[in-house]
Amino acid sequence: MLEFITRSLDASMIFTLAALGELIGQRSGILNVGVEGVMLFGATLGFIVAQTTGSYVLGFLTAVLIGGIIGLLHAAFSVVLGGDQVVSGMGIWIVGFGLTTYIGSPYTGPLGMERIPAVLGVSPFFFVGVLLVLITWFVLQKTSLGLAIRSVGENPAVAEVSGIKVARLRILCETVAGMLMGLAGAVYALNYNPVWNYNFLMGWGFIALALVFFSMWNPWFLLGGALLFGTMWQLSLNPEMVLPGVLSRYIWRTVPFIVTSIALVLMSTPWFRTRWGAARPQALGLPYEKD
Amino acid sequence: MKIGKNEFKLEKRTSLSGWQATSIAVLAVLMTLFLFGFIFLQAGISPGMAYREIFSYAFANKHGLPLTLNRFIFLLFTTYAFILPARAGLWNIGMTGQMYAGALSAFAVLYAFGAQQSKSLELSAGLVIPLMVLASMLGGLVIGAIAGYFKGKFDTNEIVLTMMLNFILFWLVSFMIKEGGLFMNPGGRGESFELPPSVYAPLIGGVPFTGLVAVLIGFALEFLFDRTQLGYQIKAFGKSPRAARYAGIDTFKIPFMVFLLGGAIAGLAGYHYFAAVPGVYKIARNYGQFGDLAFYGIICGLISQSNPLASMPVALLFGGLSIGGRFVQGKLHMAFGVDYALLGVLMITLVAFQFFYRYRIVRVSLDEEDGHA
Repeated sequence: MLEFITRSLDASMIFTLAALGELIGQRSGILNVGVEGVMLFGATLGFIVAQTTGSYVLGFLTAVLIGGIIGLLHAAFSVVLGGDQVVSGMGIWIVGFGLTTYIGSPYTGPLGMERIPAVLGVSPFFFVGVLLVLITWFVLQKTSLGLAIRSVGENPAVAEVSGIKVARLRILCETVAGMLMGLAGAVYALNYNPVWNYNFLMGWGFIALALVFFSMWNPWFLLGGALLFGTMWQLSLNPEMVLPGVLSRYIWRTVPFIVTSIALVLMSTPWFRTRWGAARPQALGLPYEKD
Repeated sequence: MKIGKNEFKLEKRTSLSGWQATSIAVLAVLMTLFLFGFIFLQAGISPGMAYREIFSYAFANKHGLPLTLNRFIFLLFTTYAFILPARAGLWNIGMTGQMYAGALSAFAVLYAFGAQQSKSLELSAGLVIPLMVLASMLGGLVIGAIAGYFKGKFDTNEIVLTMMLNFILFWLVSFMIKEGGLFMNPGGRGESFELPPSVYAPLIGGVPFTGLVAVLIGFALEFLFDRTQLGYQIKAFGKSPRAARYAGIDTFKIPFMVFLLGGAIAGLAGYHYFAAVPGVYKIARNYGQFGDLAFYGIICGLISQSNPLASMPVALLFGGLSIGGRFVQGKLHMAFGVDYALLGVLMITLVAFQFFYRYRIVRVSLDEEDGHA
């Protein structure tokens, strides 16, 4: 049972990191539906570098770096060229899925390194995740930078008039967002499940994307949602821990996706939107062009 | 940017003629082939030789050509499933799940006739095959309709929802064909029972009849988009859902219909690959790879600019490239996933080329400008 709890916490932190990145980007008005693609890149390249160099640090740095580069490209496409963010995001996902399958396949198999030691019984990424949530909340809500980010996501034209460099800020946010998603991928491939396999994520990134909608763009709600979904994911992998012999293990695997779908639908009902819909950044996904 | 006496400026396009769209698409494909060449270079293989192998296997080899045609048919169905919602400005990335639902439904018909008990069962092809085809369409339709219903009713994010359905259906297929599932092969190899030869899909010139169906659907869609009121409404909704509402268009009906129809067509892809392609005739253990192939539909749809007729040559080309790519991968001992890499490279080029759909580069002679000033 204790192992189940620590595994659930580990899983939750992967959701937290990826979704936190997406939240920061969305707060500045940029939608990236390719979270899963960025995670695949971070996970695969991080895995390869860690395995070839034998250094976890280099592996994580690679993942953060590649995530940042993808975020930067997505931001450049969206902000500078005014392209369709959904097209670019879908592109990131398909590119990530296609290329990492090819790049990673010679490395199929276990990482073969000593496990990252636990701190106080849980993985160190638990503390990293909670700390980053705290920092993100503080920056977004308590600093002038956060105010600028939020205003850019709500109404870029007004923000621009008040002296904020919209393009620069959006690029910055989306780059940080990509770094966090890359890190999330590496936490998966280097710590949570250190075995490379073709298309191993199977939906983590898309659930992280949905989590941002569920969080009402609030980092603390996001953490709560991630803990819930992390536990649920872990339960779907090891149903015998809690309910032995009930339903096939394949049916259990569908549970996180069914719950996500139901939550997504509930959140889009008029009943919900009229009460809490205002939390959504108003300029989300819309290209902004300076007059 | 200034070069000599000329200045090059970016100008936003207001419209794009069919000819311009075609030339951009052709350029994008050529660019992809160029970039994809680097994958071979990196593996120490001459791209020229690799392409010769790919194209000769895919289009001129008696083993390769049928594979190419069957994949072409599969890609066409999934492309249509993407195009229908795309015309209405919506993203269907659920063709994978819809395709699985189609396959499961087709096998459910076989199961109902007791086909899982014996491969030598004599079934009436004239009855069972049409039932399987209808069932596969119905299965895909239901999954598509779920996304369409909530999109139309509540404007639920269709990207996340269709993706969730993909994963749900993926695991449902495992549930049905593995570990004692209803459709499990008695041999217990983690795959479904095999189709009795009595209900193998009829072949027309060596190609399953689904090929003819796919081509006909392409023309039907073209007719739908260009000649019918629904087609016009889909287009209007795609331009602006709000304006469409003011114009009296039912903003529930359009998303619902495009996903429902798209899903039904994706369901046919499931029937095609698991019940009509010679040599398969079962839901194979690696069905997930067929599901991944469905994502080529997104790319074919984007390149053909959601034009069903234009998507035919595109699907044929990528069907051939993915088959040929897999062949050279084996022949030249490359790493697994050459066809996946192609998918990735294509998408990079496509996103980059979105730029050309929006902008054009114009040349302004500085002399002239001075003259005017």
